[in-house]
Amino acid sequence: MATEVLWWIFAVLIVAATAGTVFSKSVIHSAIFLIGSLAGVGVMYVFLVVDFLALVQFLIYGGAVTVLILLALMVTRADPSGRPEDTDGPQKPFGVIFGAAMMAVLIGVSVSTNWPNDVSDKAHGIPIDTISEKLFIDFGPPFVIASALLLVALIGAIILARQEEGE
Amino acid sequence: MGADQAWILVAVPAATFVVLALFGRWLPRKGDWLAVLGVGASLVLYFFVLHDLLHQRDSLVNAHGYWSIAMDTTWSHVGNFSLHFGTVVDPLSATMLGVVTIAGTLITIFSIGYMKGEVRYWWFFAVLMAFIASKLMLVLSDNLLLVYFAWEGVGVCSFLLIGFYWEKRSATEAAKKAFITTRIGDVGLLIGIILLWKATGTFNIQEILNAATTGQIGHVYLFVALMFVFLGAMGKSALVPFHVWLPDAMEGPTPVSALIHAATMVVAGVYLIARLLPAFEVVPAALLIITIVGLVTAILTGFMALATTDIKKVLAYSTIGQLGFMYIALGCSHPGAAIMHLMTHAFFKSLLFLAAGSVIIGTHHNQDMKQLGGLWRKMPITATTFLIGSLALAAVPPFSGFWSKDEIFHGTTAWNGGWVTFLLGFAAVLTALYTTRLFIRTFLGKPQDQEVYDNAHETGPIMVVPLIILALITCVVGFTVFNGVGRAMGFPGGFTEFVFLNEPERFSMNWSWAAASAAIAFGGVFFAGWLYWGNRITISTRLAEWQPGIYNMLVNKFYFDDLYQAGIDHALLGFSFVISWFDRYVVNDTGVDGMADSTRFGSSILKYVQTGKVPNYALGIALGAVGLAIAGLVVRG
Amino acid sequence: MVPLENYLVLSAIIFSLGVYGVLTRRNAVLILMSVELMLNAVSLNFVAFASYLDPERITGAIFAVFVITVAAAEVGLALAIIIRLYRNRATANVDEAATLKW
Repeated sequence: MATEVLWWIFAVLIVAATAGTVFSKSVIHSAIFLIGSLAGVGVMYVFLVVDFLALVQFLIYGGAVTVLILLALMVTRADPSGRPEDTDGPQKPFGVIFGAAMMAVLIGVSVSTNWPNDVSDKAHGIPIDTISEKLFIDFGPPFVIASALLLVALIGAIILARQEEGE
Repeated sequence: MGADQAWILVAVPAATFVVLALFGRWLPRKGDWLAVLGVGASLVLYFFVLHDLLHQRDSLVNAHGYWSIAMDTTWSHVGNFSLHFGTVVDPLSATMLGVVTIAGTLITIFSIGYMKGEVRYWWFFAVLMAFIASKLMLVLSDNLLLVYFAWEGVGVCSFLLIGFYWEKRSATEAAKKAFITTRIGDVGLLIGIILLWKATGTFNIQEILNAATTGQIGHVYLFVALMFVFLGAMGKSALVPFHVWLPDAMEGPTPVSALIHAATMVVAGVYLIARLLPAFEVVPAALLIITIVGLVTAILTGFMALATTDIKKVLAYSTIGQLGFMYIALGCSHPGAAIMHLMTHAFFKSLLFLAAGSVIIGTHHNQDMKQLGGLWRKMPITATTFLIGSLALAAVPPFSGFWSKDEIFHGTTAWNGGWVTFLLGFAAVLTALYTTRLFIRTFLGKPQDQEVYDNAHETGPIMVVPLIILALITCVVGFTVFNGVGRAMGFPGGFTEFVFLNEPERFSMNWSWAAASAAIAFGGVFFAGWLYWGNRITISTRLAEWQPGIYNMLVNKFYFDDLYQAGIDHALLGFSFVISWFDRYVVNDTGVDGMADSTRFGSSILKYVQTGKVPNYALGIALGAVGLAIAGLVVRG
Repeated sequence: MVPLENYLVLSAIIFSLGVYGVLTRRNAVLILMSVELMLNAVSLNFVAFASYLDPERITGAIFAVFVITVAAAEVGLALAIIIRLYRNRATANVDEAATLKW
């Protein structure tokens, strides 16, 4: 019972933070709200008893990604004081229509489908050893490829962002 | 060397052609002696073949008195279709072989004198050899496909030789005209051969004849196929309406006119029809058509010959007329008469042409009667031989033409009503008329052009000797129609017993017929003599004043050439106008340009999608994803 | 515990808000943030499925691991590009980087 109430609280918080990210007039405020949204999803992972993923979410998204984004905002001379700016482009009506439509469709589909395994059951937890077992044995090749991908992305980012002589 | 190896007769001139064509330029005397050797070798080998044929008669002759020696090998085959190379030596082909080799040898010797100093001397003899090889192949082959190959071969050689002086525009035009006109006939021949093949499954002549005579081919189908074959014969033999090419073909050197357009190539059609005559007999309507075409040709060309002043053109028209006679004989189911007339005509017509060539050389390239006259004093040997040839042509006894023409007259009695005989007699009168006119105006009377007369001289022995030999042959070859003469020479009988269709026909001298045809001949000769003696050429001017329409019609050769030219100008070029319109507006403007324009138009509209703005592209991605999702839902149902 | 649909609805909302952000926002970095939101929503969806429907093979959770990995790499590269863009045009506004047009 208590978990349910907690869940609902966090769900509302997440939605609020996300709305803040996309509707905020200030770039820095959007970044801060993003942190909140990402953290909220991490808490959701905890509710689903997938502790490993919750940890990874906090670490990587909350740690690395948000830092990178704030860094980029600084480099591109975003106003750090958070004064309102003109951040919405000319496609706003399309965005509204599309977003609303997408939401309606997805919610409609997910609610109307008959999910198997009586879903009111407790969510099965996913312990870390299951994850590691599956990750390294069944999905070994994708794992290695993902690491190669990271390497390539790293090198690519360095090459793209470095300063040439005389710049 | 027996009749089995008759193909060697073809191989020797063919090899000579190859050697001359490749090396003729550098041979001593440009290789003319090699040509004489080539065709002479064929002549000698021919006698071996003939001897072998006659020798084997007793063992091979069948109940009807017919025999042949055949050789056949399969060249190659593709699936069910096989190509054969085969020869058949029987009385008919033996006669033709003799004509071609004898006339060919004499004319080749004559050419050495006639073509002296001309350009491309070696090429002339090379093509002459190629022609002789093709013609011998045509006569020897046992299947229609090989006949067609040889048919085309002689056509090509004729084209090359007519256009020998290709620096002259008129010569190239004449060569083109000859080739195109005969081509139209050749297409007909090919269609006919294919139709016969479709009906019988073979090209072999003997098998086709068996199929036709035993009724395996439907009569209407057979009639159509044979008419197409006759079309080919009409083209090659220059029968009306294909006659337009032969007078123009006189642009070629005179030996060419003698060999090709008098003795051998133009009679290829006669030979082919004679070979296929058993099939023609099955559909008598075909024979009637052949007879009518022959009659029309003989009479029309007789008139045209009366209106021409070029001596070679008169002989050309005369050739066409005599070919008409041969076809009349074929139409009366009398191949013996037709082939006999072919043989006598080959000799006396080539004699006449060669003599005309002698006149041309002797008068330094003058061949118009308006400038000749009185030449018998200056060129007696030529004049005498020309006289013998003319008398043979006019069918004056006892020269050869009389006997063969008499045979044709005899054959026309097969047709009821005598109308064929009457018209044939009329054509014979015309023949006598123009022949006498030709002789008188060229050799007798007063010279028309004094300068030409003064410079005229008799030609050298190398040209005169073949003339004399041909004249001698012309005098005597007519007598082969007699039974006794034939037997004495080793043949089973007279000419018509040697070459026949169903039964050998023993010649019997029908004195009333003979007298009648002799009377016609003499009558024609004297009438023309009276008209033209003393150069009373005012005949033509009086005719021009009295009936200018008829005169113009005769001079313009009955307007055949103008008709054809108008047809080409209007029909062909009009059709090409339609085609060019189609090409320009449909194919080019709509097809080619249209595609480019519509692509350009489409891209000019689509280019506005590339706005360069990232949010727009993001929207595009989103829309695409949605579209796919909807499609997936729709497919899923 | 909450039923599965709750998680699905939640992720749908986050996803749609992210779509709105991608289509509407002008600043390149803000567009990137919206993309991160979308990826997040998708991961949440997958993990919810894995947890509720497929506890033996947990394919969804593995997928979420990879999504996080790739998202991290992608963010790094995207920001490098944005920095480059900023150096060339002195602005991070995507509407101004529109020269590759007809």
